[in-house]
Amino acid sequence: MTNKIVWVKFYDNNYYKILLKLNSIDVNIYNNIQKDNSVLVQINYEDYKKIKKYLISYKTEIVEVSGILKIKQMLKKYFVFLVTIIISIMLLLIVNKMVFKIDIKSNNHSIQTLLKKELEKNGLTIFKLKKSHSKIEKIVDKILEDNKDVLEWLEIKYDGLIMVVNVTEKTIIKEEEKHDYCHIVANRDAKILSLNIYRGVALKEVNDYVLKGDTILSGDITFNEEVKNQVCASGEVYGEVWYKVKVTVPFVETSIKYTGKNRYNINIKYNDHTYPILKSRIDKRKEEEINIYKLNDFEINIVKEKEYEEINKTLSEKEAYDKALDLVTNKINLKLNKDESILLKKVLKKEVNNSKIYLEVFVITKENIGMVKVIEKEL
Amino acid sequence: MKKLHFREYFENYLYDLQDFISIYEGHLHVFNYQKLIKLSENEIILQMINKEINIKGQYLKIKQMTKQELLIMGNIMKVEFNYDK
Repeated sequence: MTNKIVWVKFYDNNYYKILLKLNSIDVNIYNNIQKDNSVLVQINYEDYKKIKKYLISYKTEIVEVSGILKIKQMLKKYFVFLVTIIISIMLLLIVNKMVFKIDIKSNNHSIQTLLKKELEKNGLTIFKLKKSHSKIEKIVDKILEDNKDVLEWLEIKYDGLIMVVNVTEKTIIKEEEKHDYCHIVANRDAKILSLNIYRGVALKEVNDYVLKGDTILSGDITFNEEVKNQVCASGEVYGEVWYKVKVTVPFVETSIKYTGKNRYNINIKYNDHTYPILKSRIDKRKEEEINIYKLNDFEINIVKEKEYEEINKTLSEKEAYDKALDLVTNKINLKLNKDESILLKKVLKKEVNNSKIYLEVFVITKENIGMVKVIEKEL
Repeated sequence: MKKLHFREYFENYLYDLQDFISIYEGHLHVFNYQKLIKLSENEIILQMINKEINIKGQYLKIKQMTKQELLIMGNIMKVEFNYDK
């Protein structure tokens, strides 16, 4: 408080008398304003104590200046800081509008060289300002028109300070090779549930057990035990497949609940290291980052820190058992396709101790077990 | 806030002056005054070490004031030095 400069208001309009009095008690005045019914003087807080001691006949008080005077004072006080901030923001905006790297997404060296030349020809080079979307579209159309024999599709977009060029070369699409001779074989051990034959001869029937690799549909068309023709067998084979799934569920389940308290921070990322600007005041938090600036490995992000609390819920044995079965279902469902399903779940083993439940579950599923096996024709 | 007046201090150091005044457009700077004798809208009288300075003008005001220095502003019309005092 001792070095603080304050504005003191004298509730008296005799400007000259007040200044003479202040001079007589050695008060330093840094600025003063004469108003209709009062006089404002800018002095040290220590000098204000003198006024209170010696000029007791005057009614005085420390006032907070406002309006244009305050703005002027603030500008004067923070002039260098404000100018630095303004210049920094301007530089940041200019740099943000520039391209520092061109990334052409193609492994073909000749395509890369061609695109580099084309981009340069159209004014798209590094250390230049980014172009508008409409201009980019025109340039893309022009490049595609000029190189229609080589390029199929082209896209130019900006990712931060990088200009990303996605390109597809013009290629002659080869027709998918059709197999002349193939079998449908089992891709795992199973019991056949259904068999739809489109081409070929069935070597197995519904309810037959097959091992992995067993031929189910053959491409050999036989007559009187003699192969008359060889085709590529096709069909759908669904079978029962068996799994043994082991799962453990703890009785204490921890979940997260957000308290609604949020804090904002800024972090700088460089070379996989993160440097937060402010120390976080939230112990348990989840962070969401919004990128505001990116240049190669250098990033500046605004971080929203959301406070949460951990809630421990104790499950009953039945709840834990049901949860374990749900986990088994989810685990198996991840492997299944649209037309495949779980047929049966049976608990083989159940172990319960103080902290967790352990289950061993036998699961039967209906799955497509057919797989094409291509056979080279003998000449 | 407070003006530093490097140039004046430097000159004072070189010339070894006891006191000095500098007059600018609408401003008058006094260094090393002893006492403010009179202060009014039209006249300011200052006691220096070996003289008195009588400043006459219109709308005279004191912009800044310390134990040693004064910055006066207004329409300064006349500055008199009285060595008798």
